[in-house]
Amino acid sequence: MLRIADKTFNSRLLLGSGKFASPQLMQQAVAASNCQLVTLALKRLELDKPQDDLLSPLRAMNVQLLPNTSGAKSAKEAVFAAELAREALQTPWLKLEIHPDPRYLMPDPIETLRAAEQLVKLGFVVLPYCSADPVLCKRLQQVGCAAVMPLGAAIGSNQGLQTRAMLEIIIEQATVPVIIDAGLGAPSHASAAMELGASAVLVNTAIASSDNPVAMAHAFALAVEAGHSAFTAGLAHNSSQAIASSPFTDFLAAL
Amino acid sequence: MHIKFNDQLLQLTANCTVAELLIQQQIQPQGLAVAINNTVIAKQQWPQHQLRDNDCVNLFHIVTGG
Repeated sequence: MLRIADKTFNSRLLLGSGKFASPQLMQQAVAASNCQLVTLALKRLELDKPQDDLLSPLRAMNVQLLPNTSGAKSAKEAVFAAELAREALQTPWLKLEIHPDPRYLMPDPIETLRAAEQLVKLGFVVLPYCSADPVLCKRLQQVGCAAVMPLGAAIGSNQGLQTRAMLEIIIEQATVPVIIDAGLGAPSHASAAMELGASAVLVNTAIASSDNPVAMAHAFALAVEAGHSAFTAGLAHNSSQAIASSPFTDFLAAL
Repeated sequence: MHIKFNDQLLQLTANCTVAELLIQQQIQPQGLAVAINNTVIAKQQWPQHQLRDNDCVNLFHIVTGG
């Protein structure tokens, strides 16, 4: 079971709801992934456009909704976005993300830490998207974040665990769940993250942009489960030389 | 009185609450957040919160995102 703050989850896969061809496809992918945490975003309402009922189907699936602060470029903007999100969804749960630079969407560590500290004091359950920096993750943990969400690679890049060595340190030091967010492009990447001992992974682009998002959501679910089972079982050590799996006896010596 | 409603100028009768404004403008309250003069107004306050002349009302809503 994955435990974050006061809630427990059977699934260790979090799904981002962006980039799907339609809300219906996103909902089908949520169902196929068995995920119990789904991220959402905020936008200024366009008065001349009809409002889709995005929330009713998700609420019917009984998933925890996790609004993000995407679009915020500073701690001040993120706190404002967080307050909007709390009212819009009536939840204190929050994926904090502050990435001022649109080219790489790298999270701003200083603004993120500042915002996290304020938001925890305001009663939010803060899950910060952050760089794979072991010191920063410790600091976020110290100010009361409910989890840390270090990146595997740039958002939407599908490059996998580029930050692997740092993630290993983060996981070793963590006292809160470590959720690998961003950059996971294939189920094998998600599995590898779980084999490292990550508590969970968050996937969006790799599923939403696949040719068959529903099938890919299922594939990620299997990979996350496989990786976590492997971590729990304990991976065997690797070696630079061969270590025979069959006995070296001289039973063929008589030939 | 006049308010700025997501950048549009809107004329209102006096004594209009946030809740009444939303009904009048046919805005669904699900997944909606309201800020007046850059302060977020809690949902529970919508039925009581009176709009004032020159208020700048901004509406935000939940959309898909990662």
